[in-house]
Amino acid sequence: MRLREPFHHYWRPLPTLMLAGVLSALYFVLTGTVWAVTGEFTRLGGHVLHWLGVDTTGWAYFDLVKLQGSSFERSDGWIVWGMFVGALVMVLLANNFKIRMPQQRRRWAQALLGGVLAGFGARLAMGCNLAAFFTGVPQFSLHAWFFVVASALGTLLGTRLIRQRWWKGKPTLIKGGLKPEAPATSRTQPVFGYVLAAVYLALVAYFFMSGQARLGLGALFGALFGILIERGQICFTSAFRDLWVMGRAVMAKAIIAGMAISAVITVYAIAGQGLHPITQLTAPGTLVGGLIFGLGIVMATSCETGMMFRMMEGQVLYVAVFAGNIVGATLLAYAWDHLDVYDLLMAGGEKINLVGKLGPGGAIGFTLGLLALLYLFTLAVEKRHLARSLAALRA
Amino acid sequence: MSTELEPAYTLDLRGESCPYPVIYTLETLEGMEAGQLLHVITDCPSSFRNVPEEVQRRGYRFARDPVKNGREFLFYIVA
Repeated sequence: MRLREPFHHYWRPLPTLMLAGVLSALYFVLTGTVWAVTGEFTRLGGHVLHWLGVDTTGWAYFDLVKLQGSSFERSDGWIVWGMFVGALVMVLLANNFKIRMPQQRRRWAQALLGGVLAGFGARLAMGCNLAAFFTGVPQFSLHAWFFVVASALGTLLGTRLIRQRWWKGKPTLIKGGLKPEAPATSRTQPVFGYVLAAVYLALVAYFFMSGQARLGLGALFGALFGILIERGQICFTSAFRDLWVMGRAVMAKAIIAGMAISAVITVYAIAGQGLHPITQLTAPGTLVGGLIFGLGIVMATSCETGMMFRMMEGQVLYVAVFAGNIVGATLLAYAWDHLDVYDLLMAGGEKINLVGKLGPGGAIGFTLGLLALLYLFTLAVEKRHLARSLAALRA
Repeated sequence: MSTELEPAYTLDLRGESCPYPVIYTLETLEGMEAGQLLHVITDCPSSFRNVPEEVQRRGYRFARDPVKNGREFLFYIVA
């Protein structure tokens, strides 16, 4: 195998997500925190408000997410920047960066609006497809399961919307053949990729040598997660959406497997090392937030995670999704106390962790059982969908 | 190679992000007559995988192997 090979083929989602599950559990063992992004997006929103001269003293949500210092002084911040860098390095090594502009103008509005809803919903539910799903379920925080169900329903709603003719738009369909354009032959992108990787590794090394191990771990794991989501084209949005739209279950199955392996490692860490799992509020807001989030990610064609590697591929549309995500998260931070969202939807909630309720054995049994059910459900939808579309084709 | 089918239609999906490349490709194939050739050009990296997989899952045949044309992919699918 040539050295370049891994960068020229995408990796299969199943092993890629299992590796992501192992790494996210390891990150928890090393730092006591989880792989997450939208909390940091909220803080970025706070920084933008400060820069615009808005005084956010007393905004309870910013206290909740500990808005202090700059993004570069937080391990959560380095997770985000690391993901961007890791994904970009992979795109460059594959010589695959290209400015990709949407053909239809309606996509911009859809991306922005969907991004706002996804940002708002995620923060209301205390996490996106990461902290309330992929890294939430393995923390045994009950809110993640409510989020999974609500966001699945939200994506179902979303797929109804995006299949409407006025939303979907029309593709460019030309009669006859079209001569393919000669591909660009430039090989400078991989060079930039190697340089960026070297500079970034030096930065990670600097963090460790200067006694800032937490920042170093954030930066290192962020880049690893970025590498995995780009190489595996890990799209959490597509897990439920593609199941509803076309009975495609590749991503859903891989995510379930990744969460299972992550949960097993995590329960050992909790039981064996006395680590405290990250538990979020389970409240009506979890369901409302999950529903809004699910709808938003389908409208935007991407969640907060998928947006990151697509933007690095040069898909310009995702700049609008990113902006929308930050606006949405910031709106929630405002609405939290100024519009009584907390009192209405969250105040009655409780932080429930399955390990606390059922013990480590019960928690892992419950979690693996529900994951198995989810897997069976996925298989059933996949089968039914394929049978139906084949029957329609024959008719 | 000279006996190859000529494309009846070309679907230019460059700039379209997932899931639209798959949706458009399947819808276009459904509207074509059996045996006609569809040429698809796409540059959304996720579609490099999900378009050929979903097309084949529904029993369509590729007239020839997918072509990696720089930062785009070309598919030749028989409806």
